[in-house]
Amino acid sequence: MALGAQASPEALGARRPFIVAAREALMGEEPDGAARYFLYSAAFWLLLPGLAGLALAVLLYAPAAQELIPLGLRGPLGFGRLRPMHVNVLLFGWLSMVYVGSMLFITTRLTGSPLYSERLARVTLVVWNLAMLAATISLPLGITQGREYSEMGWGIDLLLVVGYATLAVNIWGTVRRRRHPKLYVSLWNFMAASLIGALVYAIGNKVWDPSGAYVGMTDAIMSYFYVHNIFNVWFTTGGLGLALYLLPKLAGRPLFSHRLAIWGFTSVWTGQHHLLYGPGPEWLEILSVAFSILTAVPNTAFLINVVKTMEGSWGRLRQDIALRFLVAGCLFYAFTCLQGISQSIRTFSAFIHFTNWVIGHSHLAFVADYSFFGFALSYALLPRLLGREIASQRLASWHFWLVFVGILVFMVSLWVGGWMQAVSWQSGARFIESVQLLKPYFLLRLVAGGVVGVGVLAFVVNVALTARAPRLTMAPATPSAGVA
Amino acid sequence: MPPHVPEWGPSRLAALSLLMLALGLVATVWLPGLEGEQPSALAANYTSAELRGRAIFQREGCWYCHTQQVRAPEVGRGTIDRPGDIGPESAPGDYARQQPVFWGTERQGPDLSHVASRAAGGNRAWQLVHLRSPSQVRPGSTMPSYAHLPDDELEALVDYLLTLK
Repeated sequence: MALGAQASPEALGARRPFIVAAREALMGEEPDGAARYFLYSAAFWLLLPGLAGLALAVLLYAPAAQELIPLGLRGPLGFGRLRPMHVNVLLFGWLSMVYVGSMLFITTRLTGSPLYSERLARVTLVVWNLAMLAATISLPLGITQGREYSEMGWGIDLLLVVGYATLAVNIWGTVRRRRHPKLYVSLWNFMAASLIGALVYAIGNKVWDPSGAYVGMTDAIMSYFYVHNIFNVWFTTGGLGLALYLLPKLAGRPLFSHRLAIWGFTSVWTGQHHLLYGPGPEWLEILSVAFSILTAVPNTAFLINVVKTMEGSWGRLRQDIALRFLVAGCLFYAFTCLQGISQSIRTFSAFIHFTNWVIGHSHLAFVADYSFFGFALSYALLPRLLGREIASQRLASWHFWLVFVGILVFMVSLWVGGWMQAVSWQSGARFIESVQLLKPYFLLRLVAGGVVGVGVLAFVVNVALTARAPRLTMAPATPSAGVA
Repeated sequence: MPPHVPEWGPSRLAALSLLMLALGLVATVWLPGLEGEQPSALAANYTSAELRGRAIFQREGCWYCHTQQVRAPEVGRGTIDRPGDIGPESAPGDYARQQPVFWGTERQGPDLSHVASRAAGGNRAWQLVHLRSPSQVRPGSTMPSYAHLPDDELEALVDYLLTLK
């Protein structure tokens, strides 16, 4: 097969010139190529926005650090410019790209069919990377639409809509050509996540209008419809689909209950719980609280499935770092849901909202849950894509413990600090007191964030070492049926 | 694998997903939109200078640390310097001329809905000093300095802040 001939210089450990490698990445048709490059890209997009996160933690703890920045760079490196870069590139760069790469890989395994179009997947790869490059540059330059999670400018929105749409075509197209008639639950999730994800992104970002914003209260309602549903439809539905594939694989046991997993396939429209007691309609808030409480059903179903599937396989956690990340992520996920429901109760929301508690909650969801899924997927799928082991198990183990302990301390410091802030506001003390009392918590968060950063660096180095190691065997030319 | 849920193909799944999205949009976006919103007395009719200031407020990300919504339970209690000086509860009509709105989700700094109605906040000179060197007029403040912005931008920013009555 021609593909084998292409791969052979690599098999001997020879390096191709960069330009040849780049052309292959963008235009090649080697099966699973897009999936592999998506996983590499994801790891790459952890670096700058992660560093931005550290800078934000420094600025919150020690605002005087601003004076260390050269005058000409104080704009681009200011808190309000780095924050959207940190959030958007981590969500749509790192996390979304590890999702897309894994979905492309897993969809072919679960359908027993090659990808609908590998070429189209390379288009997805190119537009997604271009979007992130543009976001990394334009957000610090102050080009922003001024709405949370949808700050990225109009052109970037269009690129990402194309990215989501081409992904949806590939997933739905592959499913239509499937050789296995039954749809495993993960495929349900991928199909919904890509299709509805594209629509929610397009509507939430108002892509037909370059300003990207609606007017007045509608803008606030739409903005949080978008914030919650891109989270719910893309990051959660997609992420749970990925977890439900990987868990039985790594545990070496079949999924406990497919029917129960389908229960998790419910969509909730709870955006308004971000605006409790706000100026919006009261009935909408109550509806959103009801939906938030209802999420207990799918979440319990998911947790039962995780625990029952792991039964008898807990010992594997000692050896398998991918499984360790995945199970830790699933348990954190259950906790996220519990915390999320509590925050959607109006009285508690009135107390805790606007404090750093909520920042702790968002890091719980995006770092401890979904990024842990992302690390698990990278460690589990890269060896299968490359036909060799992860370069360093020791580095991977360090990665786990640094990130695990770091993010726990990070979140707890924000929860306690946020609670103290809320108490201060309730007491009627001057606002500035609530700012000053945060100092020790912000210091702890900064140190813990640094520990997470070292762990993440270990991960990126490990991925790079694995990618550059000489290939021992050919990449699988066709997805083997029955892997699922 | 254990038994799969039978007879659910891609087209039914697409229909179900789209239906859920449509229901979500109707229930949480379209219906509330029907309630309409007439501009309230507090809805500013922005001048071009104020709009420019508002764009700078957006560009610099001021809204990440300062909310613009006073919730009912805070009325009469929320404190910046004196109990209750957070101001009256926000109403939908207050935002009728804003695109986008800056409701915000975090208060690393105080709510700005009614900043121009507070003693210091309503004073142009105080605002200019505060933007250039926050801790000079607000000891203990963690707000960054915006002295690196050109003077005309700072003036425009203050023009906008003074609309927040």
